[in-house]
Formats: sequence, C-alpha cells, structure tokens
Amino acid sequence: MNRYEEAFKGAKARRESALIPFAVAGDPGPEAFLEVIKAYVDGGADVLEIGYPFSDPVADGPVNQRAARRAIKAGLNHALFFSLVKEIRSFTDIPIGLLTYANTINHLGAEAFCKRAARAGIDSVLVADMPPEESGDIGVNMRKHGLGRVYIVSEFTPDGRMRYIAGHVDSFVYVVSRPGVTGADTALSDSVKATLKRLRSVTDKPAAVGFGISTPEHAREVTKAGAQGVIVGSALVSMIEDAADKGVSPARALKKRVKELKAATRRG
Amino acid sequence: MKIKSTGSAKAKNAKGAGAKRDEPGYFGRFGGMFAPETLMPALAEAWEAYGRFRGDERWQAEYGRLLSTYCGRATPLYEAVNLGERLGGRARIFLKREDLNHTGAHKITNALGQALLARFMGKERLIAETGAGQHGVATATAAALLGMECDIFMGTVDMQRQLPNVYRMNLLGARVVPVDSGGRTLKDAVNEAMRDWTRTVRNTHYAFGSALGPHPFPTIVRDFQSVIGRECRGQIRAAAGRLPDEVVACVGGGSNAIGIFSAFIKDKGVRLTGVEAGGRGLRGTQHAVRLTPSPHSRLGILHGAYSYVLQDRDGQIADTHSVSAGLDYSGVGPEHAYLFESGRANYTYATDEEAVGAFRLLCEAEGIIPALESSHAVAYAVKNVPKMAAGSVVVVNLSGRGDKDMDSVAKFLEARAISATLNDR
Repeated sequence: MNRYEEAFKGAKARRESALIPFAVAGDPGPEAFLEVIKAYVDGGADVLEIGYPFSDPVADGPVNQRAARRAIKAGLNHALFFSLVKEIRSFTDIPIGLLTYANTINHLGAEAFCKRAARAGIDSVLVADMPPEESGDIGVNMRKHGLGRVYIVSEFTPDGRMRYIAGHVDSFVYVVSRPGVTGADTALSDSVKATLKRLRSVTDKPAAVGFGISTPEHAREVTKAGAQGVIVGSALVSMIEDAADKGVSPARALKKRVKELKAATRRG
Repeated sequence: MKIKSTGSAKAKNAKGAGAKRDEPGYFGRFGGMFAPETLMPALAEAWEAYGRFRGDERWQAEYGRLLSTYCGRATPLYEAVNLGERLGGRARIFLKREDLNHTGAHKITNALGQALLARFMGKERLIAETGAGQHGVATATAAALLGMECDIFMGTVDMQRQLPNVYRMNLLGARVVPVDSGGRTLKDAVNEAMRDWTRTVRNTHYAFGSALGPHPFPTIVRDFQSVIGRECRGQIRAAAGRLPDEVVACVGGGSNAIGIFSAFIKDKGVRLTGVEAGGRGLRGTQHAVRLTPSPHSRLGILHGAYSYVLQDRDGQIADTHSVSAGLDYSGVGPEHAYLFESGRANYTYATDEEAVGAFRLLCEAEGIIPALESSHAVAYAVKNVPKMAAGSVVVVNLSGRGDKDMDSVAKFLEARAISATLNDR
C-alpha cells in the first residue's frame, strides 16, 4: 500500500478527513521552512503539500506569490529543494505532495526531475498549469518513477471532463472550493458541495478540497460535505509571513493552528 | 526535453506553416494549453465559438465594416524614398503604415476582432494586459464602441513610461489595474490578467494582445492580424510589380510580425526577418532577445505556451529590459519559435541605441514618428539595406506611431547626453 492509500484509509478508519497543510519550500529560509514542516507534523498533519516556488505563479494569490518570492530570494533551487525533501523524510513517513509549475520540471527535464523527486521522497505531483492533455513526457515519467498524479477540478469542470481528469489521477482529485487563485477566504463557497457531489458521481478516488480554506469551521464543513482531504494553504503561509516580518519563529503558533484544524476534520 | 501533447500526438510532426486545422494549438512542437484547469473550459469554449464566429457571415461583415470605416483599413503601403536615399539608394523601402490605424497601432485590428468574438459568446466584460499601452488603448476603445465593461492590467513601470496611454484608457471608460509584482512590466500584467480570468471566466473574455498565451490565442490573434499581410501582399505587387525580397517586423510577443509574415510564408523567395529588443546588449540580462542564442534563452513554458523563454539557471523567468515597453517580454509567441526553428524566418535584434537612432532618422527623413517598438524594425533596415543588392525591395512593418514615446526618447537621449559629458571629462 502506498503512503496516500495508507493515509486516506487511516483517516477513514478514524472517521476523519486527512488534514493537508501547505507551505512553499524554502520559505522564509531553508532552516525555518523545516521548522514549519515539523510544526505541521507535530500538529497532526496527515499529508504534506509543498510548493516549489516559481517566479510567475499564475494560479496563486498574493500570499503565496510573496512566499515564492521570499523562497527564491533565500536561495531555493532544485538541489536545495530535493535536499529539503530528504530532510523531511528523515523525520516523517506521511505522504508528501508537490505543487509546482510546468516550467520548473521542464527546466531540469521530466526524466531527471521525476527521478530525483521520487528518490527524495515525494509521493505525488500537481502541476498547476498542466492539464492532463499536456502532461506528455512529464506524465510518462511521473508514472515511471512512481509519483502519483494529482489534477484539479472546479465548479467550471463539466461532468465529462471530470471523468476524464479523474481517470488521470492516482493520489487524489484536487477540488478547488471556488474559481480563482489560491488565497484565504472568510466564507466558504456554497458551490463546493455541488462540485463534490458531481465528482462522487463519476469517481470513487479520494477528493481533497483546497483554495480558500482558512478556518477550522471551513475544515469541518468540507469534511461534512464528504471530502477525504482538506488542504489549508494561504492561511498558514500568512502566519509564516507575519512571523518572518517580526523575526520570530512561527512554529508554536502553526502547531497550535494545525491541531485546531485537525480537530475540525473529525466527523460527527 | 520535449513536451508533446498526448491529446494530439500528430501535432509534434506538424509540417508547413503554422498549425494545421486538425492539429489545433501546436506550431510544430511549440504552443499548447499550459493553463490552470479552471481556464480549460473557457479556452475550449473560445476555440469552439471562434470557429463559428469565423463562419458567421453577419459577424464577419460587421468586423469587415468596422475595420474599414472605424479602424481605417486598408492601411497604406508607403515608399520611403528619402529614407532609401539616405541609406545609399540601393533598395526601395516600403513602410506598411499600421501606425495610421485608429488608436495608432496594429493592435486595434485584433482588439476589435476579440471584442466582437466576446460579444458573439455573450460575454459582457473584456480584460487585457498591456505593455506599451497600445493594446490596452485598443481594447478600451473596442469595449467603449461595443458597450462592454473593461479592465486593463498594466505593470507600474510601464504605467510610468506610457502615462499618456493610461490617461487615454481612463478616458475611454476602462479601469487600469496597476500591477506591482515581479518586474512590473508586461509579463507581470499577463500574470495578473490570467489570475483575474480564472475568477471571472463566466462573463469575461481575455483579449490577449499578442500571439501569445495558451491555445487558442496564438491562432486567433494571428488570424485577426493576418489582414496586414494580405493587404501588404497586394499593395507591394501593385507598387513594385513583384513580391518583396524581405519583410521586416519587430517581435515582442510577435503579433504584428506574424500578421505580416503570414501572407508571405509560402513565398520561399521572400526573406522574413523578426527584430527583437536588444536592450543594452546581449551581455547580461538587460534585453528581450529570445530567438538569438544566449545563455538565458531556453525552451520553457510561460503563460500557457511552450516556446523560447528567457530564464535564469534555476528555471525562474528572467526580467527583461527594453527602451520600448511593447517588446519588453520574456517569452515569444509559439509560432515564431516554430518559424525560427524551421528556418523559415530569421530573427535578429536591435539595441536601444540603434532603435532610438532609427526613430530619429525616420522623423527627420520622412516626417513620420514611429513607435519605439517599430523603430527596432527600422533599425534593422538601416543596418541591412546598404548591404543589399541594388534594386532590392524591402517592406518594413511600421506597427505603430510614436507619440506615446516622447517621454521615453527624451529620457534616453538625456541620459546619453549626461554620460557623454561625463566621458568627455
């Protein structure tokens, strides 16, 4: 059984959805990033979602854009990224998902990138600007090196296309809670329930909801709506940013927040 | 590494000029639809609607009517005799006067087409990116004409250097959204427009300003701009009695170039030359030269298409520099990448210095103030015409007028005068 199957099966047995906190690799610096990930794990994360920073992240809102800029400025590159993932693997065995842009993989080459990512301990890859029909060599090499494929569906995705996308997914279907870019919202979109319901009618692969999930209340609602995973990004990245601005460690506050979010993923 | 489309494996082997209709979205191995999933249904919708729009006589007639009575098409082909004489009198130089279009550049041709397409699809809002401001003004104009809401995304660096165009857009009823991320130029404006579109696709059409972006935009924009080439082909035959030896155009994203090239691609005897922005020269990153080999230009993916992209050693997109905002962009339209790799078109560059020199020469010799973008194409002619065989015929696409560039040129010349004074000491 792979790490994702184990994580989703375990969560189901405990009557929970899987909590999936997100951070940008190397933000605000390599050491501080590892502290963030430790806080996520200690707080009860079931899966980790790690972004590879890109200069032109068209699917990301201002918070994650700034995080990417901090990480690039702090020296994040391919070599450092893979060594950070290896470091994470030394203290946890939960699944690690990578969120990246096509140019990052293309720059190193699909074969080299996928091989190194798998060897470092990455379990899945979501390429934010690569739909399944453009996956080409990248998709082939992900499968060859045992990296699970993750693709996005939204309320704009027609049923037929949802089925097509689900057919290309290995680890989980990433359901965006609302159209637009990443970012923390105060209210959860109503449409996410309908999207989840439509997805359920075309596939039984695990579904994780992201974009705009910022509070334990959101996590509870999404879990109630039947999601197997809850992805929290910008809300946590904002905390990392605030701490970096103040020159303090975000670890304690993050661990506490992740614990609260995790508690909200329990059903019933 | 090569990326291929599993959806259209044949596309990789596409031969001939540009994409064939049954292999949409690819120009050889370039192009594609590298877009966030939320945009995929809208891209498919735009492609499907575009096909119907092209076949709809009523809408095509309306487009044709607006091009002739509103834009001022066909634009003249003017023989620049004085310029020819100044350059040694060996070649006849013709200027395709796209600067005489309504709003002052070729951009209006595409903006009107896309605004009509948006209306055809029932969308009420237009968004666009702009660098020099010409596409922004053109889109704002089309939106005003067709009664549409309009937001234009513009980098704050570009807003400063193209302030008159910001005022024009406001006057036309558009909102100019300042973009303060990255290098705060064209690339960043595209990012922000794409981000807006992922939220607003239901009622909004993104009118890409150049032959860039995910499929179907490189094809749609090329098609709308191909009227430049069709007009020019007839005009040069009438004026010179034959096809030209060379057609020259500046290349930022590449829409004016692909527009004029498109009619001559099958004429193997016509040399096609694209001129990129050499900025402060190819040493370092102070330029926007994608198609002349340099350490920074590599195959990559930017704004939805696989093409040549300026990037650093870690695959982050590089910021660029050019005195002309409209050429200041890290990527290049995928069809140009294809024409470059297949050898059908040649690509070279002109530096800021050369472009400003050509700008002044055309003002003095012909009484025509060209856009700084177009001045790059003129600069190539200035360098190359004296080397051509006697009796050669050259067409330069004068893509826009330079009224918007007064401030940039003044600043450039002032800075140069100061450094000259310092050097004299």
